Amino acid sequence: MDNLAELLHGFTIAVTVPHLVLMAVGVLLGILVGVLPGLGAPNGVSLLLPLTFGMQPVSAIILLSSMYWGALFGGSVTSILFNIPGEPSSVATTFDGYPMARDGRPTTALATAFGSAAFGALIGVILITFLASWVAQVALAFGPPEYFAVYFLAFASFVGMGGAAPIKTVVALAIGFAIAAIGIDTVSGSVRLTMGIDELVKGVNFVVAVMGLFGIGELLVAVEEEIHARAVSSKIDWGEVFRAVGRLPQHSVALLRSAAIGCWMGITPGGPTAASFMSYGIARRFSRRGRYFGTGEVEGIISPETADHAAGTSALLPMLSLGIPGSATAAVMMGGLMIWGLNPGPMLFVDQKDFVWGLIASMYVGNIVAVALVLLTVPVFAALMRIPFVIIAPLIVIICVVGAYSVSNSYLDVVMMLGFGIVGYLFKKLFYPLAPLVLAIVIGDKAEDAFRQSMLMSKGSLGIFFANKLVTCLIVAGIALLLLPLALQLARPWRKPASRTKETTAKEKVII
Amino acid sequence: MISRRALELATAVLTGSFGAAVVVSSLDNGIGWSSAGVDAGTFPFLTGVIIVLGSLYNLVRGLLPATTLASVPIAITPIELRRLAGLFVPAAIFVAAIPPAGMYLASALYVFAVLAIPRHQTVPRALAMAAATALALYVVFERMFQVSLPHGALAAAFGF
Repeated sequence: MDNLAELLHGFTIAVTVPHLVLMAVGVLLGILVGVLPGLGAPNGVSLLLPLTFGMQPVSAIILLSSMYWGALFGGSVTSILFNIPGEPSSVATTFDGYPMARDGRPTTALATAFGSAAFGALIGVILITFLASWVAQVALAFGPPEYFAVYFLAFASFVGMGGAAPIKTVVALAIGFAIAAIGIDTVSGSVRLTMGIDELVKGVNFVVAVMGLFGIGELLVAVEEEIHARAVSSKIDWGEVFRAVGRLPQHSVALLRSAAIGCWMGITPGGPTAASFMSYGIARRFSRRGRYFGTGEVEGIISPETADHAAGTSALLPMLSLGIPGSATAAVMMGGLMIWGLNPGPMLFVDQKDFVWGLIASMYVGNIVAVALVLLTVPVFAALMRIPFVIIAPLIVIICVVGAYSVSNSYLDVVMMLGFGIVGYLFKKLFYPLAPLVLAIVIGDKAEDAFRQSMLMSKGSLGIFFANKLVTCLIVAGIALLLLPLALQLARPWRKPASRTKETTAKEKVII
Repeated sequence: MISRRALELATAVLTGSFGAAVVVSSLDNGIGWSSAGVDAGTFPFLTGVIIVLGSLYNLVRGLLPATTLASVPIAITPIELRRLAGLFVPAAIFVAAIPPAGMYLASALYVFAVLAIPRHQTVPRALAMAAATALALYVVFERMFQVSLPHGALAAAFGF
């Protein structure tokens, strides 16, 4: 019940005129970056970051998180109307959303998507409301070994459940750690990995990496295939909006299942993209109308959208209560928290009650604001998509360049940003995951510190990671996740005959 | 035309050499255990070793005729390569032009060049967009958020 009282207090912070205005601004900017190809939620949030330094932390986080909700919604708009996913996490929405819109039911598709997205987000926020402070309380008792174990578990779950090739994930993670180590070592004060470039003493800021990896990288991927924005009509029929939302309860099984998948993937850092694909795949297998998936099925829209938003929202739970972000965007926000002088983790729930509960309350309000605004502005943003890509692309390049420069007024950052762009393109093209890379850049130092402090405590013995039940469980779970891909690979020869028949039936279903 | 295999190999070599550089560079900081605890180079050294080993694995996977790679033999077609270059080369020139020309002039020239030279827009419209871009940057950053963008050597020569 304590939580509810705190939450009510949070509402008194979140529901004030300045904060509601910030929410609306954040959501609109978020829809904008969600709609534009090449700009995504991680970029948008890092672009806004320098502008929040003068704000109260709670106002700043409301602005940034609202932008995140907006971007999640904006990505679905282009997926449904143009068959172009504005965000990686809305790729799965194109499978059924676009066919439905093309069949002359764009309003139904959009309203179904937004309705289920709002439901997913709501479940995520409720989870945070009731679980976050409890997790934080448990985490208050954590020492350095426990922290390192939790970080280890987070990284291991990327490898085990991220969906990308495991070794590629490991390489991406390790590169992130190495980049995080560049500059002055906080423990010993010695300068590391500058490779003879003196300016690198300040380290590599994660914003620079995000601008390049997600901004330039995504732009290069987008320019490769010429985008034909052939939109279906983007007129909104308001009666149909309410009818479509009213029909949602008929699919309550799909809604709940997708929300559960989303929450799970958000808390364990699988991320919204993996969540939406997984949810779509499971829905296709279990739905009675599974064989019609891909032709404009309602559940084919509900499943990825609900999971996407549930994951996006619940990714903030580990960020708030443990200091481990569950997605790339959450990682950027956590970087912001540290810049504002807050220490993400369990102490937030003790020292910064206003901040935490203001944010949680703003999630409830922000998602309502987002649904309303996105419905109202669909025609405007759909018109934006008709601007030729050749005009948008140089503008996005300029935004990324200025964004990278303004982090610390350094030209070297701009050059590095461009380099990260090439890396981002190669990684995307070859299915190296980018989220673990960003996550490792943001929390690499903290993970390293936890490791070194543990080693100091134990005088160099790794035994400290098996010293008590909690730490042992976490480490063992992490190792199990690391070995999961290997185990699956070894088990494949036995499963092959069975899976082959399954595959053919799936193919037959598609043909039918 | 660039094959998927060539791209995999190039990326593995790229990540591997970064890993090797990390390993070599971290040795300067000392690896292992000293009186002050874990030495500063230890953690980077380990990550470097992991990067090198992982890259080697990816390299070997790329060399082997694996079924997964065979399904998409061509990663970048010549047309795609031209489009990529069409975006990246001007962007790189733009970045290179910032120190001498400054952010405002460089971005205006960049917008003008990519719109007018391939004749996507008429010259007057491209000019207008270029001017609008520079002006918007000036208003948003220099005025609204008091962030000074580089003015460039050229502007400095004129005494700005």
